Amino acid sequence: MKLLTHNMLSSRCIKGVSVGYPLKISAKNVRLVNCDFDTDFTVRIIQKLDWNALWEAAESVGHADDIPKNLSDIDDYDKNDEFLRKVHHVVLEVEVIEGELECPETGRKFPIEDGVPNMLLNEDEV
Amino acid sequence: MSFANMWCSNTSPTSVNNLFPGRSMVLGSLSKMDEFSEAWSCPKGSKMNPWKYSNILKEVHNVQISEKDTEFLAICNAGLTTGLSREIIMEALDETHVAAVKDIYFVENTSALNENTDCDFFVVFVKNIPEFSSHSEASLPAGLILLENFVTPEEEIALLKSIDWTRATPEQGQSLKHRQVRHFGYQFDYGSNKVDPEKPLDAKIPSVCSPVFDRMVQREITAWVPDQLTVNQYEPGQGIPPHVDTHSAFEDPILSLSLESDVVMEFRKSGVVVPVLLPRRSLLVMSGESRYAWTHGINPRKSDVVNCPDGKFSLVQRKRRTSFTFRRLLRRACTCAFSQFCDSQKENDVLSRENISKNCNETASKLENLHVHQVYEEIAGHFSETRHKPWPNVFSFVNKQVPGSVILDVGCGNGKYLGLNKRSFQVGCDMSQHLLKICREREFETFLSNCLALPFKDNSVDCCISIAVIHHLSTEDRRLNAISEMVRVLAPGGEALIYVWAKNQERDQQKSSYLKQCNNKPSEEKPAPISPFSLPVHTNRTQFCHSDLLVPWNLKQKGLKNSGLDSSDSEEVYFRYYHMFEEGELELLCNRLNNASVERSYYDQGNWCVVLKKAPTNKFP
Repeated sequence: MKLLTHNMLSSRCIKGVSVGYPLKISAKNVRLVNCDFDTDFTVRIIQKLDWNALWEAAESVGHADDIPKNLSDIDDYDKNDEFLRKVHHVVLEVEVIEGELECPETGRKFPIEDGVPNMLLNEDEV
Repeated sequence: MSFANMWCSNTSPTSVNNLFPGRSMVLGSLSKMDEFSEAWSCPKGSKMNPWKYSNILKEVHNVQISEKDTEFLAICNAGLTTGLSREIIMEALDETHVAAVKDIYFVENTSALNENTDCDFFVVFVKNIPEFSSHSEASLPAGLILLENFVTPEEEIALLKSIDWTRATPEQGQSLKHRQVRHFGYQFDYGSNKVDPEKPLDAKIPSVCSPVFDRMVQREITAWVPDQLTVNQYEPGQGIPPHVDTHSAFEDPILSLSLESDVVMEFRKSGVVVPVLLPRRSLLVMSGESRYAWTHGINPRKSDVVNCPDGKFSLVQRKRRTSFTFRRLLRRACTCAFSQFCDSQKENDVLSRENISKNCNETASKLENLHVHQVYEEIAGHFSETRHKPWPNVFSFVNKQVPGSVILDVGCGNGKYLGLNKRSFQVGCDMSQHLLKICREREFETFLSNCLALPFKDNSVDCCISIAVIHHLSTEDRRLNAISEMVRVLAPGGEALIYVWAKNQERDQQKSSYLKQCNNKPSEEKPAPISPFSLPVHTNRTQFCHSDLLVPWNLKQKGLKNSGLDSSDSEEVYFRYYHMFEEGELELLCNRLNNASVERSYYDQGNWCVVLKKAPTNKFP
């Protein structure tokens, strides 16, 4: 699971959950992969990100040093190549291979196995 | 990598690598090296690493690997995942004995190896093979009784002589795909899998069967005399698909007499396969669970693998076999204890199609679980092999998304549409863990999820595709729910492309590519699904006659190619549920949503397709 995917994942489909976001990460195994860097792509992705959720996610997998806590700390980020490369690295190249996601409201856990989060819910949970 | 290859190909000419060219690996000290692991991209101790087997051989079986050719072989990783059955291994060997422990096979006398075997597994010469104690027969399905030498050789001759294979009325017999058949007493109809008790045949059961019936009653095998006889004649290579005799058609038990030669019959239930050797002149009594809940069938092969008393097994060539199946018509509803498999009890069951269409969510979910999710899980590998070429219109839709788009593929299958648009972020979800594993191997980003409850926050993706997914949902409400989930996760103004199978496979006098692939083979024998749901079964590559139906998937299990032995491929049939869409039905469904509108709809090779656009936020406050 890439942190970009995590930035969109939510447990809102659970009965009684209102927001279900962001999911807490407990990672047992984190892997780094290589992805081609693309400036336009990264700039547009940043506009879609929930930055707080990304920073918390990065922190929980030990990559908080790579990005600032507040996006507003960076001026003209779309022209800051070094910053964009760091964001690219955090959202696409850091992968949680084994671990768990946890619903912030109910504590329901979703296992991550072989890089794939299991987001299935039982019939009686939805 | 090249070093590993060279090492493999430079071992002596009789080395196993030559015998299994290309797809086998030779174990040895080399494979323990880190460079080797890296070159073959299999980390030490991983499933595909031969290194694991050298340890297992040593620690578990006390078998030493040899770097020189010896007279013993160990074939490792020969399990279900590599599709290597003991039948296939036996066919690669001439007259010899083989013994197996889990997925490791031990072979004596390595000179017996045939060439031209084509399989993924690890083969290694070993210095010794373990001792095998005679193991007890695997337990038979409950209610299954095998009575050897039930008829004398003289009776056998008389029984065989009583059947005239040269003449028969059309009701009495036909030459089926896999065998010859004759009916006596009553006709068994392979279309409905039933017998009409009002229409007895002129051909009565031959009187030569009377001593056999007397013996059955005398030994208290049955309290009645059979009134229906089906005689099957199988040539080597012929068989009968796995089936359960229709509950409502016949009494318990069903009796089958094997004549002329032995054969191995396979009994199956919930993934368990029990091969049973039926010796010549034996009577097989299928009663209770074995009659009602297990399927029985004969693999269409030219040889059988037979267990030997010493715990090893060997290959026996088949000869012509004639079976006499004796049954008695059941003239009332079946009241067996196996309602899950019972057609009589199914008719009264709440799980009927009428209820499914009445938005019975629980039933719908059970149906989809049995006839969609479980099936894809089983057929994932074969399914994926047949799904590699993206459909052009879907391809261009994915590719026209602007750089930096987030594209969600709902029901991504093997990831056919993931990774197409390199400048976007593509993520897929599916219900099948096996299909997602295939995606993972291709390095695609996925998560496991049901399309009825997408685990994404609202407004989070720019584009959704759902190709051949929604037609697997069995009520209109569920189909609508799946579409509304996609719209929910779409950002305002975002688009979803949805493909579903069309009931009509011909448009403007043009047949869809699905129909064009029809091979015009007659399929007189329709395998019946074991299912609590009464749904019609579709005949593949023909027009759809029903809106809700089961479509068979013939799972081909890979046999030996180029081995000189044909018929080694076996086939199992799985049934997938489909709702077939009428013209305009998908648009009507989409129009029920108040926050999205149909941008475009079209017909594409037997599919109805829509592009659905989520409204910009200000349009619907």
